[in-house]
Amino acid sequence: MSSQLSRAFAPVPSRIEDAKAVGLRLVRPVRSRARKAPFVVVVLTVLSIGLVGLIVMSTVLQAQSFEAARLQSQATSLQTQQQALSREVDRLQSPANVAREALAIGMVPNANPAFLRLADGKVLGKPEAAVAGSNITRVTP
Amino acid sequence: MNAAQVLTRRRLRACLVIILVVFALFGARLFQIQGLDASAYAAQAVASGTQKKVDPAPRGAILDRNGEELATSVDGLTLTADPKMTVDNAPQIARILREKLGNEIDYFDTIDKLRTPDSRYVYLAKDLPKWTADKAIAALDKAGLPGVFSEKETLRTYPGGKLAANLLGYTNGAGKGVAGLEQQFDKTLTGTDGSSTYEVSPTGQRIPMADSTVTEMVPGRDVQTTIDRDLQWYADQRLADAVQASSSDWGLAITMDVKTCQIVQMSQAPTFNADERSGMDDSNTVSRAVQNVYEPGSVMKTVTMAALADQGKIAADTPIVVPPKMTIDRFPIGDYWQHGTLKLTAAGVIALSSNLGTIVAAQQMSDQTMYQYFSKFGFGQKTGVNLPGESKGILTNGSEWTKANHATISFGQGVSVTAMQMMRAVGAIANAGKMCEPSVVTSTVDKDGTKTAVTSPASKRIVSKDAASTVTRMMEAVTAPDGTAPAAAIKGYRVAGKTGTAWRVDPTTGRYIRGQNTVSFMGFAPADNPRFLTYIVLDKPYSNAGGGSTAAPVFHDIMSMALERFGVAPSGSKSPKVAQTW
Repeated sequence: MSSQLSRAFAPVPSRIEDAKAVGLRLVRPVRSRARKAPFVVVVLTVLSIGLVGLIVMSTVLQAQSFEAARLQSQATSLQTQQQALSREVDRLQSPANVAREALAIGMVPNANPAFLRLADGKVLGKPEAAVAGSNITRVTP
Repeated sequence: MNAAQVLTRRRLRACLVIILVVFALFGARLFQIQGLDASAYAAQAVASGTQKKVDPAPRGAILDRNGEELATSVDGLTLTADPKMTVDNAPQIARILREKLGNEIDYFDTIDKLRTPDSRYVYLAKDLPKWTADKAIAALDKAGLPGVFSEKETLRTYPGGKLAANLLGYTNGAGKGVAGLEQQFDKTLTGTDGSSTYEVSPTGQRIPMADSTVTEMVPGRDVQTTIDRDLQWYADQRLADAVQASSSDWGLAITMDVKTCQIVQMSQAPTFNADERSGMDDSNTVSRAVQNVYEPGSVMKTVTMAALADQGKIAADTPIVVPPKMTIDRFPIGDYWQHGTLKLTAAGVIALSSNLGTIVAAQQMSDQTMYQYFSKFGFGQKTGVNLPGESKGILTNGSEWTKANHATISFGQGVSVTAMQMMRAVGAIANAGKMCEPSVVTSTVDKDGTKTAVTSPASKRIVSKDAASTVTRMMEAVTAPDGTAPAAAIKGYRVAGKTGTAWRVDPTTGRYIRGQNTVSFMGFAPADNPRFLTYIVLDKPYSNAGGGSTAAPVFHDIMSMALERFGVAPSGSKSPKVAQTW
């Protein structure tokens, strides 16, 4: 097949003679000075960096996603704990609880309002000692 | 071509046809999926990998005047179980739940539930705080006992328990307010739930950078009330003690700032505990201050006197001849004590609470004039307090009054009121003749703390300033040592007040019941510059209880505490001496 092809593309002998006559001659084909290897390396490098980058990024994102999920659940549990503690605080500082504690250590509510005016040291109203059992004596649950 | 070759060719053709038919089927199906149902399948694919989460908006809190929480919301859980999975381990599961949840569940009841036959879904416990339920779930996980699940919900809590329960109201199972402020401000308190949709991996982690949509939730607004939490608690307790000591059916104690008409305390006994959901029957959950009508009795005499004083027909020292008894329209009327003909001043009539003296004084007014004054004082009309289910009481039109009506209405029988109406009317006398609408809410607050004020109508003049001060003078005589309620006097202060002992009406027959009373005391202090008005009502106490002996001491204690808490110092002036007789 190749012999047929080269025969088909071979120059006609008369034309070679004509070329020689005008001073043309056959020269060696010029070899390209650019080498192929560096180009391939560059392309491969870019591709691999891209690939590795993608893998790294996606791994990091995945890892962060797990971290986010973990932190989220931690936040929820802390929020729950905060609610539990603040409810406990509310319960402890509720008037009923404070009154119960106060009555337990023998304090008596005072139903005789009187004031001390700081400007001149005058007592407004008629101060009177609160008598045990004269006011609230228990806290109904 | 020989026979064998023909056979082979036929077989080849048959195979070709079969292959073509199969490929044609594939092609048709491909066309259907890619061409016809493409969007539906794409949506299905996305849906299988996405998760939609509802972000429940927390219900707003109800705050007292200083920002203390009276009602608030926390995360809660409902525990459910699949009896098919729990039937074998029921006692172990019940034991762990009982250990972690305490009295929230009953051990034997829970075992029965966990063994429910032919069921795959039972409720074990509702309205559990999340922190408690979480502990139970974790303990079950640790013990390797499957079949108990939790569902998220918002739990309404009332840190004060019974505190101001009838004012605050409560929410139903769906979290909707169905009584009190919870009902009236339900729209304000309820937020808008948000939602988020995002793609998740099969293990449930969110896929980063995938599509997600988030609709922000809008939390409910807080409602700030005019209530002072500590005073409210004190009044709740003091009233509960009084109701028990006097074996009354129920009692009310309300305190209002007369300058602004803000209710600083509104107590009712017996009451309920919305936090523990105990005592929630109708007789406890009704808000008696606005929903219960009753005949007020002698407290109404202050309104009659204010009407007369405004017309210039009476002063504190106006002489009145009080007969021993009267019969009007064949209806005998007397005073609570036996007496002959008395020569009392108007102040004496109020100080001794004489029905007959009041009738004599009120006869100076026509039916229409008296009716108009009572209407101006707001009887027969709702107050502006803006609470659900408010009653407007009963005041029949003056044109329909009989002589007996005119007489009895002047001392508070034959007219039905709510406690809030009575507060508003006497509040006008305390506020120098100007009446304002009682209010319980000052503002609504959004999550950034921005307040939006809730406005109430401006105050309007009902009677002249002089008329108000005349009646105040008469009312000061009530708390004097020779008045009907010396127990209401607060040492160092000038206190104006009026007792009430009204006959109770049997709601079924509409007739008065002998020996059953509604006793009350209404008073304000300091009388020379009124700041607070307190009203105590005790319904059906033991039979010889009176306003002065039973209700006045409660008034004394609650009023004293209010003056002390709000730093209202006495001016030091003395009550003017007004003669009770002539």
